[in-house]
Amino acid sequence: MTDRKHVVMATFRRPGWLRLYYVLLFLLFWEVAARLYNDPLFFSPPSEAALALVTILSDGGVRHALAQALLEIVVAFLLSAALGIALGLLIGLSRFAYHTFFKLILILYGIPKITIFPLILLYFGIGAGTKIAFGFAHGVFPILEAVIAGVQSQDAGLVKAANAMGAKRRHFFRWVIFPQLVPGLFTGMRLGMVGVLLGVILAELYVSYFGIGYYTTRFSQNFEPAKLFALVGILAAMAIALNETLRRLEIHFTRWSVSTLGSA
Amino acid sequence: MSREPAIRISRLAHAFTGTNNAGPTWALRDFSLDVAGGEFVCLIGPSGCGKSTVLNIIGGLLAPTAGDVLVKGRKIAGPSPADIAYVFQEGALFPWATVLENASMGLLFQDVPKQRREEIAQSALAAVGLTAFDDYFPGELSGGMKQRVALARALSVEADILLMDEPFAALDEQTRIVLGVDLSNLLGTRGKTIVFVTHSLSEAVFLADRVVVFTARPGSIKEIIAVDEPHPRRGEFMTSEKFNELRPRLFSLLHDEIKKAMSQQQLSASPAPPP
Amino acid sequence: MPDVASPLRGREKIAVRCTQVALAVGLLAAWHYATATKTVSSLMLPPPQDVVLQFIGILRAGTFWSDLAVTFQEIIVSFLIAAIAGVALGFAASRRRLDVQVFEPLLAALYAIPIIVIYPLYVLFFGLGPNSKIALGATTAFFPIALNTITGFAGVPRRLLDASRVMGASHWKMLRHVLIPAAFPLIVAGLRIGLILAFLSIIGGEMLASYRGIGRLIIDQAEAMNSARMYGYIVFLLILSLVLNALVFAAESWVSGRRRHRA
Repeated sequence: MTDRKHVVMATFRRPGWLRLYYVLLFLLFWEVAARLYNDPLFFSPPSEAALALVTILSDGGVRHALAQALLEIVVAFLLSAALGIALGLLIGLSRFAYHTFFKLILILYGIPKITIFPLILLYFGIGAGTKIAFGFAHGVFPILEAVIAGVQSQDAGLVKAANAMGAKRRHFFRWVIFPQLVPGLFTGMRLGMVGVLLGVILAELYVSYFGIGYYTTRFSQNFEPAKLFALVGILAAMAIALNETLRRLEIHFTRWSVSTLGSA
Repeated sequence: MSREPAIRISRLAHAFTGTNNAGPTWALRDFSLDVAGGEFVCLIGPSGCGKSTVLNIIGGLLAPTAGDVLVKGRKIAGPSPADIAYVFQEGALFPWATVLENASMGLLFQDVPKQRREEIAQSALAAVGLTAFDDYFPGELSGGMKQRVALARALSVEADILLMDEPFAALDEQTRIVLGVDLSNLLGTRGKTIVFVTHSLSEAVFLADRVVVFTARPGSIKEIIAVDEPHPRRGEFMTSEKFNELRPRLFSLLHDEIKKAMSQQQLSASPAPPP
Repeated sequence: MPDVASPLRGREKIAVRCTQVALAVGLLAAWHYATATKTVSSLMLPPPQDVVLQFIGILRAGTFWSDLAVTFQEIIVSFLIAAIAGVALGFAASRRRLDVQVFEPLLAALYAIPIIVIYPLYVLFFGLGPNSKIALGATTAFFPIALNTITGFAGVPRRLLDASRVMGASHWKMLRHVLIPAAFPLIVAGLRIGLILAFLSIIGGEMLASYRGIGRLIIDQAEAMNSARMYGYIVFLLILSLVLNALVFAAESWVSGRRRHRA
């Protein structure tokens, strides 16, 4: 049994580089597989997808669709956050409201929102309203639940200490309640963001008259997989970027929290 | 004495590789010790002095950077479950298994058939006084009871050598004393060789035949104190004159090393050249 | 700081219950009133009686069975693919700390992307049949299963592994008696999440592009503007998801209960 540890750790054994290596390995595998399979109507190697990226981005219509989708995502998320926090505080801080509504919220949270998609479609039509509404329906519940839970789990010791020091109500909110709320809130917001992305993109894909759905339909029907790959790639990159932004914000605002130390 | 020592440690040295390419940290330096069969040896010293490292090396969990360890005349090359049993500080019990199953784990890993396993485990549990709890899960037990189960597990494999790494550290003072007396009773009758790591001065003097005092990191032997009192030792030993003379001696030996260790914590790793 | 969550005392309980009942009744009454007086177009909101009638009609006619079978098959197959791949790859990635550090963040980042985004690619490649749904479901379910498996296996306390090695456990014994029991709860939780996600994404996929399936049935009604029938199918789908959730939770409890916990 040898357990000899190397005195100097080679730089290339760091996780970041290895991850890059595996991603490149995957792209290489994809490239080779696509060339071997060689059916340009249904499958495309990454090199062509990369080229198609340039093509579709130079199309103003595609850019507009992407911008529109991004706008819908942001609006849906801000709505979810605003309502989630406001309602969450109201319900979490009131004994009466909590017991009356919390079970209902959990039930609504548990209902798969996909079941009401046709409903939303019927009410809001095929415009931006449907996408925002569907995104909102997915995004609000995790945030609501996180805020209510966060308000419940306040450290009693801190509350006692603040009381003893004569804190007024607004002091409580600013220095006791909110700071403790923040870690749980961000977790809820990350779940909410994933939900909003799911809702908005699904709704966008459904509508084939304009927007993202129009282009996915067009590229599919014209058998242009490279362009489809490129479009999907952009959307995926958007999702990753939004999540990453939230994650950075979370790390910044929860620097003091023991549970997030070392999770960067 | 011509008898082979149960454990012979020769010029053991160990370095841990530093993170961030900071260079290795020497935990142990030129450590040599002979442990006779049936002897109870305590290792005591400041934090980071390498006493747990010595135990891990004897137990075959760690290969030393330099030096070697002979157990019953054979060189260590990995865990030797037939000769050595190890009790950890946190017990390391399997939470999903009952007390009886936990106590028989060592036997299971050595392919002892089920019925024989349970027989042996039951008698080990009886020895530690936990027969009534064989059907319980570790989560339902107190800290002291959990450590008893860990002890029963170590006893059941019937190894001659027992390694114990601060097994009572997580328990309150009273439980520690009770368990210490029990341990002394148990082993007075079974003739095991024990290497026991502790931070507690009273525990070391109460339990050990010899107390090995470590220097601060990189650790080696500062001094060895002999405790001339036969096992099994009774609680009264703790208030005897002999005890009250040994304990302060131990304290004064440790005092400087502890201060050195605390100031080390503020500095970065202090590598020392190998011997 | 009000003590909000503690159980209700007598008078409070009455007040809360009354409000809840009042709200439920009020909602139902408003629905009936709105449709009866035609303040809301029955296209948007059909009268409650119509919905009930349609729901019963759906159950009676039994035309949903073939679509339900298609959906069900898609869910099972995709889940099995995701479970096998997820657990196998998750285990493989959990063996060395370096691998965990490399792959876990990668998987976590991909988990955050709504897999529905890839669906058009699957539809292009597999067509409108069940295979595109199976691919979607399998991809969606893969991530929580793999992530939970990695966490489960990599998170076994080091001390337990040390203790087992000291007691002379072979690799196979270690896997069977230590690693698997320790990782079990997390893996099962991952499988549960995976199954639910497979179900949801498959329904979504059927709504977007499919020949058959429950999702397709529902969206057909929406496009044909048969609101009452659509609502009926939605109720049907809700009950379906409740049943699925209940089954999954029951399965999880049964599997965990085999560990004989005492009260």
